Amino acid sequence: MTEATGTTYGVGIGWRPEIAGFVAALPGLRFAEVIAESLAPGNPLPPALAALRERQVAVVPHGTRLSLGGAEPVDPARVRHFAQVTELLGAPLASEHIAFVRAGGMEAGHLLPLPRTREAVDAMVANVNRVQAELAVPLALEPIAAIFDWPDDELDEAQFITEILDRTGALLLLDVANVYANARNRGTDPVALLDRLPLERIGYVHVAGGATRDGIYHDTHTDPVPDAVLDLVTELCARHRPPAVLLERDGHYPPAAALRGELDAIAEASGFPLIT
Amino acid sequence: MDVPGQSHTWGIPGPTFLSIFLVIAALLLAGTLVHRAVSFSGRRPENPGRLHPLQVAWLNGGDHLAIYAALGALRVAGALGSQADHRLVQTGPLPAWATRLDWAVYQAAGQGRRSRELIGDPGVRSALTELRAELERAGLALPPTARTAARVGPILLLVLLGVGVLRLVAGIANHKPVGFLLLTLACLAAASIVLLVRVPRGTRAARTALRTLRDQQPHLSPEYLPAYATYGPAATALGIALFGGAVLYALDPVFAAEAEIRRTVASGAHTSTAGSSSGGSGGGDPGDSCGGGCGGGGCGGGGCGG
Repeated sequence: MTEATGTTYGVGIGWRPEIAGFVAALPGLRFAEVIAESLAPGNPLPPALAALRERQVAVVPHGTRLSLGGAEPVDPARVRHFAQVTELLGAPLASEHIAFVRAGGMEAGHLLPLPRTREAVDAMVANVNRVQAELAVPLALEPIAAIFDWPDDELDEAQFITEILDRTGALLLLDVANVYANARNRGTDPVALLDRLPLERIGYVHVAGGATRDGIYHDTHTDPVPDAVLDLVTELCARHRPPAVLLERDGHYPPAAALRGELDAIAEASGFPLIT
Repeated sequence: MDVPGQSHTWGIPGPTFLSIFLVIAALLLAGTLVHRAVSFSGRRPENPGRLHPLQVAWLNGGDHLAIYAALGALRVAGALGSQADHRLVQTGPLPAWATRLDWAVYQAAGQGRRSRELIGDPGVRSALTELRAELERAGLALPPTARTAARVGPILLLVLLGVGVLRLVAGIANHKPVGFLLLTLACLAAASIVLLVRVPRGTRAARTALRTLRDQQPHLSPEYLPAYATYGPAATALGIALFGGAVLYALDPVFAAEAEIRRTVASGAHTSTAGSSSGGSGGGDPGDSCGGGCGGGGCGGGGCGG
């Protein structure tokens, strides 16, 4: 069983080109994440990202297209790209999703949840092992939000995640906003899920905003972080504070003051120092 | 080849004429280039980051880009909008940070002007004059006297060119070989026209400052699809200043189209990722496109200067 690395990074933010100047101006920043597929290992890093690395900010590649949950073996070219980007960034860890994005040659275009079966666990573990073989640093896996459950689920969510982590030695990238979304949309208690997850295995945590439409909570990444999600961050940190808590914002970027306010709220909820 | 008894054109042998012509051209060209090197150098700002975005805009794209930068900043601040008939409208209060140019643009919007009419608006004109005067005092904009003086050399070169053309015509009429003279004149014409037309509005120090700012602010480059709402009005104005009118289309396509913004007003080098950006638009030093290379070459044998 792998414990998360000893370094504590505090509050971080997902680096996106659109807000590169905002991220660069955060004086206390020590942790950021970049979409792995947005970088080309053959080219130098974009100047704004290179400047963060020069400041010793840890920048973690976050894969979205490996399709680790697919039944077929993960594409070796994609794994190589992922590993090269990780090396280019000098990242202390890398992350991907417990999900699939393509099956039988068809691209879904977005992350799809796996049925929580033994068979899915086996396929996932095999693919994670293939990626780990290429990576020199730990891999963290992120369960995704699911608005529905597959009918033939054999495991519950906590069992499913724990099984994959146990069998791969991977770290957990816990998306608190997803935990909140899943619990809310299923009418369950999000804190109860926290209590059943191996929190000491968390590599880092995602926090994002969302909005309720037609009674369903959507983890949009384009809306403000609701108080309920921040409360869940506090609950999590009271149990086991992860090395880093990272804000994911993917569009509809608000004025800098509002974005700083979100980072401050996350710092307050997690007990980490302010980075603004 | 000179045939004995046949008179030289104007009584001067071809090679002699060409030699004298080349020496004068070289002296004029050298004088012009030295004058440009000295009078265009300007004064480097201690910290280019302290320049106001509207100043930067003027240096990169002149009056038009300064107006565009003001429009962009006021748009992000929610102070300005546009209508389908291309008229500007005020949509909010004038922000506290407004400069004189921002104020003038805002006032003109209140009068329902179109953006292309702003350049003729008296308030805007006077704000632009002031902006330019500040930049001249700072050693970043070339004063009109320097721009005029920079044209003296090229005009003298064109006069010399005229003399050469007369000689060429006379030489042809006199059935003399004129190949080298023709070549010389072509090079001279190109050099003088480039030097006459390409008198930059900013000094070399200004161009260096623009390059420094582009390197310091890569995130404002259109490649990054900057989130202007996050960066706010000042950074938006700087983005337009450094990367041109097209930035307004990235900021707010409907507004930019309704306001009839010209994408082509300045562009800024899009080479920020490569590290060595190649300066702005608006005219760099032409260098010696022809100064040395063309004037050389001997004229042997059969004469050449007409």
